[in-house]
Amino acid sequence: MNLFDIPFLAESFLALCRGIPLTLQLTVLSVSSGALLAILLASFRLSGNQVLDGIARGYIFVFRGTPLLVQLYIIYYGLSQFPELRKSFAWPFLREPYWCASLALCLNTAAYSAEIIRGGVLAVPLGQIEAARAYGMGRLTLLRRIIAPQALRLMLPAYSNELILVVKSTALASTITMMEVTGIAAKLISASYRPVEIFVCAGAIYLLLNFFITRVIRLVEHRLSRDQRPLVVATGEQA
Amino acid sequence: MGAYFDLMGFADGGWGIDMLRATAITLAVALCGFGLGSLFGMASAAASLSPIPSLRYLADGYTTVLRGVPDLLVIYLFYFGGSAVITQLGHLFGAEGFVSAPVFLTGAMAIGVVSGAYQAEVFRGAVLALSRGEIEAAKAYGMGSFLRFRRIILPQAARFAIPGLGNVWQLVLKESALISVVGLVELMRQAQIGAGSTRKPFTFFLTAGVLYLLISLVSGAAFRAAEARAMRGIRRVS
Amino acid sequence: MTDHIRIPAVEIARLEKCYGTLKVLHDISLKAQPGEVISILGASGSGKSTLLRCVNMLEVPNAGTVSIFGEAYRLDQRPDQPARVIDRRQLQRLRSQATMVFQSFNLWSHLTILENLIEAPVHVQGRERKACIAEAEALLERVGIADKRHAYPAHLSGGQQQRAAIARALAMHPKIMLFDEPTSALDPELVAEVLKVMRDLAAEGRTMLVVTHEMGFARDVSSRVVFLHKGYIEEDGTPADVFTHPRSERFRQFISTHAH
Repeated sequence: MNLFDIPFLAESFLALCRGIPLTLQLTVLSVSSGALLAILLASFRLSGNQVLDGIARGYIFVFRGTPLLVQLYIIYYGLSQFPELRKSFAWPFLREPYWCASLALCLNTAAYSAEIIRGGVLAVPLGQIEAARAYGMGRLTLLRRIIAPQALRLMLPAYSNELILVVKSTALASTITMMEVTGIAAKLISASYRPVEIFVCAGAIYLLLNFFITRVIRLVEHRLSRDQRPLVVATGEQA
Repeated sequence: MGAYFDLMGFADGGWGIDMLRATAITLAVALCGFGLGSLFGMASAAASLSPIPSLRYLADGYTTVLRGVPDLLVIYLFYFGGSAVITQLGHLFGAEGFVSAPVFLTGAMAIGVVSGAYQAEVFRGAVLALSRGEIEAAKAYGMGSFLRFRRIILPQAARFAIPGLGNVWQLVLKESALISVVGLVELMRQAQIGAGSTRKPFTFFLTAGVLYLLISLVSGAAFRAAEARAMRGIRRVS
Repeated sequence: MTDHIRIPAVEIARLEKCYGTLKVLHDISLKAQPGEVISILGASGSGKSTLLRCVNMLEVPNAGTVSIFGEAYRLDQRPDQPARVIDRRQLQRLRSQATMVFQSFNLWSHLTILENLIEAPVHVQGRERKACIAEAEALLERVGIADKRHAYPAHLSGGQQQRAAIARALAMHPKIMLFDEPTSALDPELVAEVLKVMRDLAAEGRTMLVVTHEMGFARDVSSRVVFLHKGYIEEDGTPADVFTHPRSERFRQFISTHAH
């Protein structure tokens, strides 16, 4: 093991970078679809309807209580047990590791994100909601104008953690033949028997991705928090 | 339904015993990993709160890197890295070819190192949440540093740490499934073996899922009970 | 000259409210004519806030009726279920006629002061945005915080926030104004500025229901004083009557402990 073998490190790093597009694709696909599902689940949880709440809670319990690997294998390997599915229109998709991985990641992140969204909504100060109701605001207007803007800002820290977790979870796609960053890393390690160097390169890539995500979220948070920062008057002095 | 119980039962040809044994392995590797993680975590938390800057940077680096990198990569690192080391040693003693490291050990170490990073944050948060007033009172009453730590800081930090540790435990349980990828016959791997043998992957993975849920439920209840005991006499500010 | 019967602005008849087994309001009846300024006094737990919150149905009474200018809220008050409002449209309509000023101001923190003022007029009453902005600026001028129009609530002092909240209530062109302990959360120095605004409103002839601890306001500005004790009305009359000839011993004690 030689951590200063720069040519090898550089070569490995470049090889690993080829996996980044796939990592990003899986992340974006699962986060966006997962967010939509999460909004649905959160609204079930917050609806006050026992049945809907129960359904959402059951879903969240199952997907948070079992390893992502199990969920992935059930979708990729398990569904092939059913001949009806093999003949259905969905089969061309469900046969592909790309769609199986995206589906598993989407379903998984939806469970965690639903709780984050719910947390954000519940954190909106009750007094402001009450004032909106006292002023005659209907439920939809209240949601759109008062709750959503504030809940969004309140849930960003927790959501940025979740985004990083999704990026890390894309690594599991390597167990079903996908060549994203970790898949390539595994291949390089078995070829070169230099796990430490490969780990350092692959790790660096993931850390860079995380850094980028955290920065972007922080920027968004900054933009959304104008109302919380001290006022700077036009002359440049603090109010 | 009857077919299911034939398959998973404890009679001849049933996979029940194998699945349960594998579940025990899952629990064992998870417990070892969590325990190791507690040691790493406490050391890291202590370092992150130390007045020495280089210790703080080390702790910060440790938690940032190991929480930012996929668990699977860490598992590969320990397994292949450990194997590389052992193979070298083996060559020294005249053995030939590739010698693989013991999967349980490397798996537990990988889990230990990753969960240690998360536990470090929990411990750190718990210590920081302590009421300064109570520590000051301890100082004013002449309690020395070690006594303060033992009688005031530790019990209170433990109280704050329990919920966070409960979360880390759930993480560790799920991480243990990843060690199947390097060959440890815990629950996931056993389910794969069964699936391959009987061509019923859905059945086996579903069963594995249910078993994970059960462990998760029981663990959750245990942690909540521990939290309730630790919070005796404390009025919750809701 | 015809002696027409005036429709009360707010009419409360035989109101009862329970939280579980705890009965907070007993058989409360009250009428507020247009232009009256009614101060509602009482110790903590007397039910005064609950009473006020029943006027705009932030609390729904388990028995009895509440009418705004003769129109009664349609309620479902079956005995073994939580009481609720049946007609949501009516609820929104009646609520926008009786605006409320809260103890903790409750300005919407993600909107500027100006945006706070036009939010409900534009989105609930459907009025034209430009007109609402012009009016809002005039209102802010009137309560003395015109220079804060583009600031966020977090940047204002308590007194300024409450004045903004009053302006926000006025922007709805309310026929009735409800005040739920408007000065209780303020530092003493800031109470005066808010009371001044409220006195001006009373002088204009607005219909106001004010839950308050401020004896001065109750005595000098209101046209009527109501005293609640443990969910019962023990005093109801003009300040002159009630303060000089109190019928209730508890009210006598109340005055002496709260005298300024």
